[in-house]
Amino acid sequence: MSSASLFSVSDTIAAWLLAHIAYVFPPPVKGWLTSGDVVLGLTALIFSAILLGASMINVIVLIWWERKLLGRFMDRRGAMHVGFAGLLQNFADGLKLFRKDTVRPTQADELGFWLSPTAYLVTSLVIFAILPISTGWNGGSLPLTLLLALVIFSFAPLFIFLGAWASNNKYALIGGMRSAAQMIAYEVPILLAVVAVVVLAGSFDLTTIVMEQRNYWFWAPLFLALIVFLTGMLAEMERIPFDLPEAEAELVEGWNTEYGGMLFAFFMLADYVRYLVGSILVVLLFLGGWTLPSYVPSVLTSFPLAGIVWFMVKVYLVFGVFVWVRASLPRMRTDQLLRLGWMRMVPLALLSVILAALVVAAHCLPVLGCVPSMGG
Amino acid sequence: MWVNMGPQHPMTHGLWNLRVRIEGEIIKDVDPEMGFLHRGIEKISEDRHYNEIITLMDRTCYVAGLSWEHLFIIAAEEALHIVPPERAEYIRVLSAELQRIGSHLMWYAAFVQDLGLTTPFLYGMRDRDLILDLFQTYTGGRLTYEYMRVGGVRNDLPLGFTARCRQVVDWLMDRFVEYDRLCLSSTIFRERCDGLGLLSAEDAIAYGVTGPMLRSAGSRRDLRKDRPYSVYGQLQFDVATANTADVTGRYLVRMEEMRQAVKIIRQCLDWLDDNPGPVMASQLPRWLGAPYAPVGNEAYLLKRNYPTGLGFSMVEEPHGEAGAYIVNDGGEHPYRVKFRSPVLINIWAAKRYLPGYRVADIPPIMGSVDVCVGECDR
Repeated sequence: MSSASLFSVSDTIAAWLLAHIAYVFPPPVKGWLTSGDVVLGLTALIFSAILLGASMINVIVLIWWERKLLGRFMDRRGAMHVGFAGLLQNFADGLKLFRKDTVRPTQADELGFWLSPTAYLVTSLVIFAILPISTGWNGGSLPLTLLLALVIFSFAPLFIFLGAWASNNKYALIGGMRSAAQMIAYEVPILLAVVAVVVLAGSFDLTTIVMEQRNYWFWAPLFLALIVFLTGMLAEMERIPFDLPEAEAELVEGWNTEYGGMLFAFFMLADYVRYLVGSILVVLLFLGGWTLPSYVPSVLTSFPLAGIVWFMVKVYLVFGVFVWVRASLPRMRTDQLLRLGWMRMVPLALLSVILAALVVAAHCLPVLGCVPSMGG
Repeated sequence: MWVNMGPQHPMTHGLWNLRVRIEGEIIKDVDPEMGFLHRGIEKISEDRHYNEIITLMDRTCYVAGLSWEHLFIIAAEEALHIVPPERAEYIRVLSAELQRIGSHLMWYAAFVQDLGLTTPFLYGMRDRDLILDLFQTYTGGRLTYEYMRVGGVRNDLPLGFTARCRQVVDWLMDRFVEYDRLCLSSTIFRERCDGLGLLSAEDAIAYGVTGPMLRSAGSRRDLRKDRPYSVYGQLQFDVATANTADVTGRYLVRMEEMRQAVKIIRQCLDWLDDNPGPVMASQLPRWLGAPYAPVGNEAYLLKRNYPTGLGFSMVEEPHGEAGAYIVNDGGEHPYRVKFRSPVLINIWAAKRYLPGYRVADIPPIMGSVDVCVGECDR
């Protein structure tokens, strides 16, 4: 595992930059420029820029990955023409959207209409600041990162509903209503599934949760919770089979019907940011994060940034599962969706919490390979 | 609240407007509005030579062009007292049944797309391409064929066509199994389709609903059996029925119809292999063979001392029972042409089978109707 961390990298860049800039200034300014506070401030800026750039690039690659996978599932090849195997197609699409005029319906509420896509995208992006990607590669280590991530993740229905209501369109309003109902309903099983993980790991800190999976990944004892979490994430992400808020067959485009150009691109990007966050959470909570099982030869885990590489591989594989689901399932209906959420997912999640408690209790049994540090 | 689903809406699959009154998610009333695509095909036909109307027939229903050509040709030949050679009849039936598969595949693709199933959508379109490729080999067209003629068909099948056609239908038979596995064995699909859009046989008959929608309610009415036209009387096939009267039933009927169409196609191919011959009637009025009008020769355009007649035909088109009525007053052009579109009536019955369900049920229910606005508005 590499010892470099995102913070140390940005700190080095900031110090190097400031030292060179300070060279041309007279002594008092030079001294201030190279002081710890200024370096720290620039470090934070560089840190955020790296995070933003990395997450945006990942989001765009994720769109490409979905398009290629979907293409293969559908017996076609996906984007092929812009860049190698269509890798640059999404940049071209983004550029096209960027050049488009953003039209606001005259009857729409101005503040809500402009605010909604921006707030949706920003709140989705903020989550990356606290998601650990590898040892040391995270923004800040708080004791409650998992909870914070989920809280920010669940801001979405607010902004979606705001945008839907503000755009003053019947389809958008129905879509926004559905979106709010669905997201709020599926918060419950997701949180319960997360509780099972927390019980097993004994911490709300994502790094600790990953570290606690050094003996076995949590999907094995918490298979039920994984199923619930995946289903709930599908609903939170509003992907097929739970994409009723934007069910294009009856609601045209659902809550973003009235949005076009860059505002639509914001929604689209924010959606994929959420897909990425969802996949990352699955990997962190259930699939061992950036770690590999101990029987894997060390040559696979000892190269520089191996943790990040394996982490991204897992994230893209998990997202591949979401794409697979999208390629093979039809869309559900709102009442069926809510019934599934409350009548199936919540009891299953409760069951998995009990299972997690049993696993923790069983850790005093020597047959399971007793791990004294387990449990809260 | 009245919601306009259309004229530009993904559910409509064409240019029509479904006005829906909803309370919450429940549909209370519907008001279909058609006519956005009216091109006056019946009126235009009065100014055209018989063979020129065939061009319009392709445009009437753009997914079942050959079926509509067949419909018109039968009525026109009756009105003009022309009997086509038998080989032409077999080629027409072959074309109509291939067209039925093509149309049903198009329906399948659009229907599953409405349910959010994107993969089978592309499978359906992919397999329909094979049918279009077949059409291209002997009609030259993929969408508008202009193939049938009064008195026969334009040209015979090319060499090796029957072998290729057999290959395609064999391949398709395997694909039908795949379609069922993608749809019928999916719990979500069944939940979205079972018991939706109920329309009993009595109601269907009262509204004039025909085709797979009627047969899905248990009725065995199929014009190919009940009122055999062309050479259907000499072919063996079963009438596809279901008794659930819902969306799943219509799905089952159409799937079974495709299998039966393959059965008919195989019989036609066997017959065509064994019986070479002419594909155009030999005794045709000269003006039918080469429809041109010398400028200034008004007498050419007027009565040509040809016997008058009435032509009426009904065929089992992929969407339902289509009818054509042609009045031949002895002139170059028909005096009056009237078509019955099954889709128009099937859509209109939405007032009966749509209220009471949810907004989210509109796409599967209207998808199961198989809307083709071109023939609905004509």
